[in-house]
Amino acid sequence: MSDTSPFPTAPAAPPAASPDRLHVLARRILSRCLGSVGVLLAAATVSFLAMHMMPGDIVSAILGGPAADPTPQTVAAAVREYGLDRPLPVQYGLYLDRLLHGNLGTSFSQHLPVIAVLRAELLPTLELAASALVLAWLLALASVLGTVRRRSWLSALGSGLETVGAALPQFWLGLLLLWLFAFTIHLLPPAGSDSVAALVLPTVALAVPLGGFLAQVTREAFEIALDQPFVLTARARGLGDWSVRTRHVLRHALLPGISLSNWAVGALIGNAVVIETIFSRKGIGRQLVLGVSSQDMPLTIGIVLLVSLTYVVAGFLTDALYVLVDPRLGARR
Amino acid sequence: MTRVAVAAVAGVLLLLGGCHKAATRQAASGRPVRGGTLVFAADREPICLDPHVGGNMPQVFVAAQYLDSLVSMDEHGAIGPWLATGWEVSPDGLTYLFHLRHDVVFTDGTPFTADAVKANLDHMANPATQSSTAGGYIRQYAGTTIVDRYTAAVHLSAPYAAFLDVLAQGFLGIESPAALRRPRDENCQSPVGSGPFRIVRWDRQNEVVLERNPAYHWGPPTARHTGPAWLDRIEWKIVPEASVRFGSLQAGEVDVIDDLPPEDETPARSNPDLSLLASDRPGNPTNGTLNTRRAPFDDIRVREAFIRSADIEGALGSVFFHHYRRAGGPLSPTTPDYSADFEHSKDYDPHRAALLLDQAGWTGRDADGYRTRNGRRLVVHVPVAATMWEADRNLWEQVQATERASGFDMRLEPASEAAVYAREGAWNYDLILGYWNTNTPDVLRIIFSSQFLGAAGVAGSHQNASGFSDPAFDALAQQALGTPDPAQRAAIYHRMQAIVASQQLQITTYPQTTRLGIYRTAHGVRLEPSLRVTSLYDAWVTK
Repeated sequence: MSDTSPFPTAPAAPPAASPDRLHVLARRILSRCLGSVGVLLAAATVSFLAMHMMPGDIVSAILGGPAADPTPQTVAAAVREYGLDRPLPVQYGLYLDRLLHGNLGTSFSQHLPVIAVLRAELLPTLELAASALVLAWLLALASVLGTVRRRSWLSALGSGLETVGAALPQFWLGLLLLWLFAFTIHLLPPAGSDSVAALVLPTVALAVPLGGFLAQVTREAFEIALDQPFVLTARARGLGDWSVRTRHVLRHALLPGISLSNWAVGALIGNAVVIETIFSRKGIGRQLVLGVSSQDMPLTIGIVLLVSLTYVVAGFLTDALYVLVDPRLGARR
Repeated sequence: MTRVAVAAVAGVLLLLGGCHKAATRQAASGRPVRGGTLVFAADREPICLDPHVGGNMPQVFVAAQYLDSLVSMDEHGAIGPWLATGWEVSPDGLTYLFHLRHDVVFTDGTPFTADAVKANLDHMANPATQSSTAGGYIRQYAGTTIVDRYTAAVHLSAPYAAFLDVLAQGFLGIESPAALRRPRDENCQSPVGSGPFRIVRWDRQNEVVLERNPAYHWGPPTARHTGPAWLDRIEWKIVPEASVRFGSLQAGEVDVIDDLPPEDETPARSNPDLSLLASDRPGNPTNGTLNTRRAPFDDIRVREAFIRSADIEGALGSVFFHHYRRAGGPLSPTTPDYSADFEHSKDYDPHRAALLLDQAGWTGRDADGYRTRNGRRLVVHVPVAATMWEADRNLWEQVQATERASGFDMRLEPASEAAVYAREGAWNYDLILGYWNTNTPDVLRIIFSSQFLGAAGVAGSHQNASGFSDPAFDALAQQALGTPDPAQRAAIYHRMQAIVASQQLQITTYPQTTRLGIYRTAHGVRLEPSLRVTSLYDAWVTK
């Protein structure tokens, strides 16, 4: 860690944008975009291969169900409709070609275009992921700002709560919240995706463990930052404790948590299936499980690509946030 | 693992939660009340709302609310009128002449006529529909001629005495021909029927919303009232987690749930706010079918030893808390022409199993205690779909334990649903787990006759999973379909049940069952007799 950071509060004159600098910036953006395309292509290829290496026949899953009794003509029609009688490389080539044209195909298990499934499920998923991330950060910040290096019992309490929060299994917390708030005091609806009220319990169930995790990371960075010389300097300049903590220390301490958030966004979207199931919520996670178990290749690939895309976008956003928050990068800008 | 933990935690939490609201609301009056919304919580979502496409149980559960059938079936298995007022069967059994009601209109305004009968049967038989269930039941369908506006002649390629029975099933419900002309996947989203409710909206993974059909006055004779449904609206919610479904019911957040979890059945019975509506479905009971095409089950002695080593009674008691009854024969007791003679023909008998295995040459024992023959262990491979119901999985784990005591190494091999189908298609199993819900003993033909050994099913799969092939049995199955006299037909089905039981082809466990939990706000919920499917036509709510 660089101990000689300039004061973030010292306004640095923005350097004139030289053509050379713009060039560097453009190259960085371009390489980042190319990298993103590579990530998306790799995601599509890997999931395509994985689906085909799985044991099991796709035709049967289209017409599936334990009591299925289709005619041979039905089977032939399905094979023809989905191009399943073509060789694997041809299927792959066709698929990439259609991807390039923005055509994700039809989910045969849902009888819907994949795009329509994603459109219907993306918003509830993003709502939940975003609200959980925001709440997790609020909880983390409250704990860190409120308890780090306060009275020893308060500090210990904050640290202890964070550890407990980070260790709570989401499904357990979800069921506890359901029992208390939905079934016992009837304050909030137990299920659904229709209202803001229905968003509260799943948000809390996802946010508490994540918040505990973010707080633990931030707490450590916060403690290190509190020991930096610039804190002493800031205090010497007569700044109050709250200002030192929020305006100086926090900007340093946020960085590991922001990096983690990049990962957390993807995890919240991809791994939300348990919470989605308990709260009967619509969402990408449940669709992904459905898609995989029925070997619905177009749907699975569509979701994998979408989740990859959210990782990429989250990466861009966290980079940008890093630049905004990091006092050193800010000063150099 | 996670699901077990969820269930355990939830069980404790939700039990506590159930106690808080014992206070009374208004007492349920016996007289139906018009209006209101019934909230139904289902465990699984249909993949398509049109039951002709594919065809699994969640589809028919919704279809029963918005579709009518040509004929009805009562709880004794007798066929009655519905959209058809009457019918005549030609002496050769190949032509069914249906006389139709004149006053039925689909909810899109299309009148119900002979055209609709033709359009629907053609739709089920059309390969492009991808109809597994309905299309499979009418393979004998050869076409329909329109005699006049309200008379349709349906032609079959072979006599099919079970034709009217399967027509009574919701899978073969009659849809608006105008709606059927749309692309299949569009019809999946918004099918149109003539039933007591119409589909308003389907929000995937959330709910199907239905509203009353105000014009409805053509209910089946099995219904308890005439005229439009009492309810204004049904919210058919998808609530996959069993403990949450039951918790929501106890809290009165929903009015009716399906698939009441076995562990919640005792609390449900003792809760004054709740009632239970349960009925066993007809067909082939929940079972494990033995593959007779390869060792070790190509030897009937080993088959019998395996079946007699399974302590089904004990397993049912511990997994279902004695709420589920045993089904020991090839047909569930609610199936027409079911005979009780075979209920106990294959009871748990480890001593006999040991004797049979000794006779069959499986006399050795290896270090783990499993039986061996010529140095090879007695292994039974059982593919298990990841989507299998938790309770069923527990049941087969119990069976595994008693099989082990007899020296069978019974291996439950988890796989995706598609992978299980593939293994089934390749005959790569010793035991395959399944069931077959249908309202006719003709199910014996589908699962045991050689007609269904070949490329009948998906991906070279086959409905006859045992590989059993017996010309005498096949002849009986065909003879039954050509026998119009019910008593003679029952005698034939008795002989077929006897053959299946004596050939040791299945471990049957319990009848498939519909089990609804009903909160005190809901009344008049009925099970439509053909497949024991929920009907909300007669239901009303007081809240």
